[in-house]
Amino acid sequence: MTHPLYGTTAIAGVGLRQYKRGAAPLPERSVLVEAVLAACADAGFDPAEIDGFVSYGDDHNEPVRLMPELGIRELRWSSAVWGGGGGGIAGAFGVAASAILTGQATAVVIFRALVEGSSGRLSAAVMAHHLTDHLLAAGVVSPAQVCAIRATRLFDHHGVPRDIVEDLVRASYYHGNRNPEAVSFGQDFDIESLRRSRMIAEPFRLFDCSRENDGAGALLMVAADRARDLAKPPVYLLGCAQGAEAGWGDLLENDAADLYATAGFRPVAKRLYADTGLTPADIDVVQLYENFDAQGVMSLIDHGFCSHESAADVIRFDNLIADGGKLPVNTSGGNLAQGFIHGIGLPIEAVRQLRGESANPVAGARTCLLAGGPGSPTVSSAIFANRFD
Amino acid sequence: MTRSSGADAPYWQGLADGKLLFPRCTGCDRWMWPAGHRCGSCGAVGVTWTERAMTAAIFSWTRTWHRFALTESLDLPFTSIVAEVDDCGIRLLGRLDDPDRIDPVIGEPLTGRIGTTVIRTGVGTDPIPTIIWSRLA
Repeated sequence: MTHPLYGTTAIAGVGLRQYKRGAAPLPERSVLVEAVLAACADAGFDPAEIDGFVSYGDDHNEPVRLMPELGIRELRWSSAVWGGGGGGIAGAFGVAASAILTGQATAVVIFRALVEGSSGRLSAAVMAHHLTDHLLAAGVVSPAQVCAIRATRLFDHHGVPRDIVEDLVRASYYHGNRNPEAVSFGQDFDIESLRRSRMIAEPFRLFDCSRENDGAGALLMVAADRARDLAKPPVYLLGCAQGAEAGWGDLLENDAADLYATAGFRPVAKRLYADTGLTPADIDVVQLYENFDAQGVMSLIDHGFCSHESAADVIRFDNLIADGGKLPVNTSGGNLAQGFIHGIGLPIEAVRQLRGESANPVAGARTCLLAGGPGSPTVSSAIFANRFD
Repeated sequence: MTRSSGADAPYWQGLADGKLLFPRCTGCDRWMWPAGHRCGSCGAVGVTWTERAMTAAIFSWTRTWHRFALTESLDLPFTSIVAEVDDCGIRLLGRLDDPDRIDPVIGEPLTGRIGTTVIRTGVGTDPIPTIIWSRLA
């Protein structure tokens, strides 16, 4: 039986506003309003007809406050996925689709806005969810350190070669170099700049880490049949899963031993593939949330693209780029090289890629996996497509 | 929630008294960490706080070189570890004596002593009791 989420809703419009951290020309809510208006313009949709919003990661903009500037007549749905990190990003699309499919809303915007002057540093906000005296006493106060400890385990215990993260970073910058919207646009990236960048928390140097930007992103979701009447070709949601399995999640480092050096996606990926009838081999392009490059590697393993043993064969620069790679990843540059507004650029690139609008087009791409924030207690992933059986 | 009011309050009090105490299910003897009041495995309510020796093995680690806020009392670089405590399997976050910056090896045996990590905030200082681990010579 076809899953109720399969192809029944679609993204009709996307809007992105991105600036250097601390350099947004407007306050956070205004930047968000501009992104929502851009998504509506993209879709040819009257913003007054928006009746729902979904976010994640503790966004500070309660949707009701957006109504006056957007001219919204009636708000019928506002919700967020739990968790302070990017783990809920893909789950937000499932929540939005659930609202639409159950008749509780008809036009839902999935969004994330982050302007440092308004909301402070993202890393501090994420960490506020987890900080306990156990962490403070160990000097472990940042996402970088938490993820570094897991990365060490991946490399030293599971034997995944450390240098494959460099291929992921290089592929990200290769795509960013060719994307006019990317922070790294027009810059030739030399891997030596990663190897020489300052050490943050071993094994992570600065360029192993995504660096925050100011900005906002918005995606307009409507029912699939309605999307077909709007300006742009629909990008359908085929499936979405969120959650965690026993033995995972905010357990003071007492996660099950076989899950410890994962990104937490095993049950989510299993359910996502089962619900959509797809396998990793059916995924044409991946938008991979990488807060840190090692966590991106864990996520690719969790989603079945490779194993600890085959990671070095699969996670290769040539295989990860849009030009001829079998597993094109982060075709906008991703969080590392396009920009990092808590990941919201990734689903926007998924939509652009499936419309043929990406700066790094993948020839003939039909499906795109959005792998949400890795390592969060609650994680989520989704699959989008531009056509389906 | 403070150290004196959470489900793990006896752990913190134990460190203050020089002992390492962990909660164990009164129904099935399972170690319960993070601390809670009900065992999700057998359904029993209630724990017995049980002492364990401060010996452990390295489960994983990182050495921090960046000055993150709230780490001001620690000299850079400092090494943080996840230590798997012997004879219970509970993992604790802690700090490692690492004066010579020798990369820890997973599985390496450790012995611990109780020290403090001082957290400086806008309103004062908070000395948190913690286990400082050392490699066995």
